[in-house]
Amino acid sequence: MRAAAMPSGLLIHRFVGRELRNRFAGSIWGGFWALFQPLLQLAIMSFVFMRVFNARVPGLDAASYAPFLAVALWPWTAFADGVLRATTSIQENAALIGKVAVPRELLVLSSVAASFLIHIAGFVAVVVVLALLGTGIRLTGLLPALLLYVPLVALVAGLALICASLQVFVRDLSQALGQLLPLLLYCAPVFYDRMQVPPAYRSLFELNPFTFYAETFRAILLGHGTFDGGRLLVACVVAVGVLLVGHVLFRRLKPHFEDFL
Amino acid sequence: MSALLVRAEGLGKSYPKVYRSRDRLRALGRLLLNGANPDSIGVLRDIDLEVRRGESLGLIGENGAGKSTLLKLITGVLTPSTGRVTVNGEIGALLELGAGFHPEYTGRDNVAMSAALHGLGAAQLRERLPQIIEFADIGQYIDEPVKHYSSGMIVRLGFAVVAALKPDLLITDEVLAVGDESFQKKCVKWMQDYLEGGGTLLLVSHSMYHIQKLCRRACWLRGGEIVMQGDVFDVTQAYLAYHEKKSAPAVSSDTNVTAGLEFSVSAVELNGQDSETPLMLQWGDAVRVATRIRSRDGRTPSLAIGIVRVDGTPVYGVTTDMDGTAPTRLSDHEYACELEFEALALLPGSYTVRVHSMDPEGVRLFDTVERTFIVRGTSRESGLVRLPHRWNGAHAVDGAA
Repeated sequence: MRAAAMPSGLLIHRFVGRELRNRFAGSIWGGFWALFQPLLQLAIMSFVFMRVFNARVPGLDAASYAPFLAVALWPWTAFADGVLRATTSIQENAALIGKVAVPRELLVLSSVAASFLIHIAGFVAVVVVLALLGTGIRLTGLLPALLLYVPLVALVAGLALICASLQVFVRDLSQALGQLLPLLLYCAPVFYDRMQVPPAYRSLFELNPFTFYAETFRAILLGHGTFDGGRLLVACVVAVGVLLVGHVLFRRLKPHFEDFL
Repeated sequence: MSALLVRAEGLGKSYPKVYRSRDRLRALGRLLLNGANPDSIGVLRDIDLEVRRGESLGLIGENGAGKSTLLKLITGVLTPSTGRVTVNGEIGALLELGAGFHPEYTGRDNVAMSAALHGLGAAQLRERLPQIIEFADIGQYIDEPVKHYSSGMIVRLGFAVVAALKPDLLITDEVLAVGDESFQKKCVKWMQDYLEGGGTLLLVSHSMYHIQKLCRRACWLRGGEIVMQGDVFDVTQAYLAYHEKKSAPAVSSDTNVTAGLEFSVSAVELNGQDSETPLMLQWGDAVRVATRIRSRDGRTPSLAIGIVRVDGTPVYGVTTDMDGTAPTRLSDHEYACELEFEALALLPGSYTVRVHSMDPEGVRLFDTVERTFIVRGTSRESGLVRLPHRWNGAHAVDGAA
């Protein structure tokens, strides 16, 4: 049990596997839901924005809206799902924490890993399908797009460690996040292009951590907008910074988890 | 003796007082600012404990004495508030029920998870899985979700995993209490073999029988502090005596009630000793149970005397009525009689004598008084009593005792 202080590869493997199975335990369609839910969202959003609001993204025709939305919406789903689920990961595993000396980080990180595994798989599937349908997605951009997930995962892991450790003490956090995350989604250029926003507010969007990812995924896969190496560097620094803060905070608070669970 | 396996110095644990949600926020602020948390309830204080390799230590104490907390600190599930604990070896722990099993998964999946948590590799698991399943002996339930298990089955599986790990230090918390008779025996047998093979055991149990059977040393916790530690017989005896004293005031305040009974037991002496501390005996000693009965209306009472092992297993019971005798009349309302066991065949352990006063017909039971005695010794025979026996067609082996 002491050995568990240094998680073995097997242990990580088992935890992520268990986390994946937990998500779909008892559901007949299993992993299908992970793909179906953002697909449905994509269909509804496309319909509402294109047919109901009759909205147009400058420089895009109606048919291009679906890929425009898809390449930003899938990473967002991974981001939101990763943060939200990991937030309650310590609290939900209270029974395990009270009985076995599990490395606490493992519970949070395996939850994040599971979210990304599911949604990256969905992302790849949707990108390939859209590319085959001839919607202007460049398949050559798939590999760089997957690399862009690296800082995103680091960012989410950091946020997850912060939220999960705070959630143990303040249970309101997961409730608040449920409200805050949609707000963050609407304040990121996911459904629209930043150019459609009144100029006075455009720079404010840089404060939203997801703005960079939404725009860069589009630049890489659709050639919509330009890829900016400087912004990538900033995003990496932010991601590593958040991860470090998360690590320090988590280490500070984890000896006391059991007392408050 | 050999190397130190567990060492606790000034170990203490306190839980924060959190009654309202606001307290949680304040506690979080304190932890972030200076790491201290002054508003707390102490559950363990100044525990100094050493366990050496090959030792067996029993932890005893009332509910809430801090036994489980101490085990959790040693296994690293809890972080101590004060002091420190060091462990030099692999621990296999079975804390409370469940051992961290996930209710939705099958027994087999949970075994795999549990083994990985204990640092067992995939190949080692494959090798030991049949052994685990055989030890747990829960049949086809191994492929059922754990939520359908009875508490006994969960413990069986948990113990089977820990047994397969062969840890340096085995920690079990009230595990035996849940299993059925045959599983208890299997566990006790396994633990005895494990101890003989050089294993180290830390056992929490409310069964003094198990503690005495498995442990050489015992440690008694009360209110988060160590009251006494040392030889298992001395500690368990003191602990039982404490319990009797604790229940004594309740009995004495009942005197009015007992005086109102038609037949009440007014005195019981074991070998002339009327105190409530357990009587110490050697195997084969004689036991005399001298009793006095008060009869309110002067009718001759009958008397039932029984012996039960400390865990409640009945050993023997008899009434005056069955044997065709009756207590001797001392005065109008006082009767006396003595039951003697010439050479008590009971094997080492703690036993309770129960004296019941009954109506002359031996039908209704009116009053009960209990006395405890301990048969000391280190016999390795199993069961409750030594039955007269002889081996036929066998021959003595040189060097055998």
